[in-house]
Amino acid sequence: MNSLKQDWLSNVRNDLLAGLAVALALIPEAIAFSIIAGVDPKVGLYASFCIATVIAFTGGRPGMISAATGAMAVLMVLLVREHGLQYLLAATLLTGVLQIIAGWLNLAVLMRFVSRSVITGFVNALAILIFMAQLPELIGMGWQVYAVVAAGLAIIYGFPYITKAIPSPLVTIVVLTIAAIFLGLDIRTVGDMGELPDSLPVFLLPDVPLNLETLQIILPFSATMAMVGLLESMMTAAIVDDLTDSPSNKRRECVGQGMANIASGCIGGMAGCAMIGQSVINVKSGGRGRLSTLSAGVFLLVMVVFLGDWVAQIPMAALVAVMIMVSIGTFNWASVWNLRKNPKSFSTEMVVTVVVVVATHDLAQGVLAGVLVTGFFFAHKVGQVLYVGSKSEDEGRVRSYSVIGQVFFASAERFVSSFDFKEVIEKVRIDVSRAHFWDITAVTALDKVVMKFRREGTDVEVIGLNQASATLIDRFAVHDKPDAVERLMDH
Amino acid sequence: MKTENKVLACVDQSHFADYVADYAAWAARRMDAPLEFLHVLDRHPEVAIGNDHSGAIGFGAQEALLSKLSEQDETRSRDAREQGRLFLNRLRQRAIAAGVEAPDVRQRHGALEQTLVEQAEGVRLFVLGRRGESAETTQRDLGRNVEQMVRALHRPILAVTEGFKEPKRAMVAFDGKAVTRKGVEMISSSPLFRDMPVHLLMSGKQRKDATKQLDWAKATLETAGIEAPTALIPGDAERVIARYAQEQDIDMLIMGAYAHSPLRSLFFGSKTSDLLRSAKIPTLLLR
Repeated sequence: MNSLKQDWLSNVRNDLLAGLAVALALIPEAIAFSIIAGVDPKVGLYASFCIATVIAFTGGRPGMISAATGAMAVLMVLLVREHGLQYLLAATLLTGVLQIIAGWLNLAVLMRFVSRSVITGFVNALAILIFMAQLPELIGMGWQVYAVVAAGLAIIYGFPYITKAIPSPLVTIVVLTIAAIFLGLDIRTVGDMGELPDSLPVFLLPDVPLNLETLQIILPFSATMAMVGLLESMMTAAIVDDLTDSPSNKRRECVGQGMANIASGCIGGMAGCAMIGQSVINVKSGGRGRLSTLSAGVFLLVMVVFLGDWVAQIPMAALVAVMIMVSIGTFNWASVWNLRKNPKSFSTEMVVTVVVVVATHDLAQGVLAGVLVTGFFFAHKVGQVLYVGSKSEDEGRVRSYSVIGQVFFASAERFVSSFDFKEVIEKVRIDVSRAHFWDITAVTALDKVVMKFRREGTDVEVIGLNQASATLIDRFAVHDKPDAVERLMDH
Repeated sequence: MKTENKVLACVDQSHFADYVADYAAWAARRMDAPLEFLHVLDRHPEVAIGNDHSGAIGFGAQEALLSKLSEQDETRSRDAREQGRLFLNRLRQRAIAAGVEAPDVRQRHGALEQTLVEQAEGVRLFVLGRRGESAETTQRDLGRNVEQMVRALHRPILAVTEGFKEPKRAMVAFDGKAVTRKGVEMISSSPLFRDMPVHLLMSGKQRKDATKQLDWAKATLETAGIEAPTALIPGDAERVIARYAQEQDIDMLIMGAYAHSPLRSLFFGSKTSDLLRSAKIPTLLLR
């Protein structure tokens, strides 16, 4: 009861103002990405309204903004082109269902395998995708378009120096729309881009045959969208957690995202997720509670439906300016400026993530690539943590090796090559009490070492297998069992 | 750190804190218990102080925002800490002047209710104001935190009002229920009410065994050497108690608190809250 009140009503004025600022940044994104996905602006706008409104109640991170996003839009291009809008709506429903399941299974914990560098790469790739989505409105256009975009950016960044009381994107859109009408500029407007919402959304189920074939078509898209949506939502939630210094419920957020997408699919909207840029705008403008998310959605719908005739007059170039701002604000510039200063592994992981995303337009693949590269680097680094030293004892009859560090697939080869098998000696003692044997590769490597020494007629004694290694040796090793040679040959 | 049986005075930075300090000092002296002042610094991450509604984000927006917000939080906590320390020291002096030996002071970060529950171990008596900081600006009769805190804590709570007057005559709003019966036993064994007449008042709907209950309570108190006049006045409890307290010049009320569920009090109102509103004297709430 109390926390309900705290989530909703503790910050009313700021939440409402922030919601307004966010709604203004949502409209261009919803329109731009509807066009990318190949559907009418209506679809993105309804989705943004619906997702923001539903997530305000069901989400686990108050103050975070979710709506129709670029990350999701680029994934659905093919589906819409080949199968049409109805299949997109069905895929949206399925995405929601998958996300709810992911929430129940608590898959959010997997986020810990996504390193800082991959997150940074994800964010940068996102910013680049947002920017690239604006290019069709820029390339090959007349000078008027460039003039309007430049004027828009000037107002967006200049107006806050005059007053910070009203959102500067609002000023930009209003001023440029009026200017374009009065000057009679011949540039594209929102109205030219397709159908705008003319009424409140209504409930309707997607018109697709309910059979396995449909499932086969939509499942791959839904699975990718569910994953990307949750990834971006979890990252955004972590950013908002940091900014506001307050905790969030990741599991509830997953389920909430799923519910929001199901609702969106039911009123003819596309799938969406949390938005980094808009969430930063929200927090910066003072939005903290659930009311900010709700008001962003409601303001968006009110503006689009009731001021629809005016919205149709807005020059696309003005919205492009707003989106360039979102893109600039989302991008992590420090990671570029410090590209040389940061550890090479960090920069490489980041760049790989960005390159794969920009090449495939699929954030999921980018993150996967980033995680893989991170894994390589990590294995490589930890593999360096291995030292094998030796000294002779007992007047040259015994050589005593001591192994210190981590032995696993990445360091096994180095481990084996650290022994001198050609030395003519009676007995070898290998002290592994300060080493860790992590996997079967490591165990096989130790077996190999022991076998090689035995072939030279050298006695081998392994001492100090610590508990962690011992459990592995018990299960997998062969050298301490009677039929050692035969079994090793099988490997 | 765990001083057993201490009196914990929960204060916020309103003028009510002085009276909380006075009553806490009085209780600590009478019970010969250590006294500790607790001031909770509640951060409110859910409230923004931003006045930047421009909604424009530029280069490095996220990093800039993060450093700005944490800087704001840092200065705020630092100021609050220093202010709180000075404020607590003043209360400490006040308690020392009232004759308490070495009262302790403590500031804690966190939400009020949760902090108190955490601190409850080793506390014999909580003392808190019926209203607090927000009372300086609103007309509420009963602070919004009070019910919640009383419900969360399972120790006796002294809820004080404005002004301090050393209690001379106490009164038990006796209903014969388990909580107040236990309360009567507690009073008889506590040094808090020694050498003080404790009136026993029964009101409201009459129970069949009312007289018997009342006699038992009177006997219990008198065995402990406490003078216990009784009264059995039918009628609306809230009004009867308020009038009796005024007529008899009672300056401390003792009663059981919040026996019913929060849901019930949401619909039917709470007798405890009503009494806390209408009785203008310090009230010892028994849980």
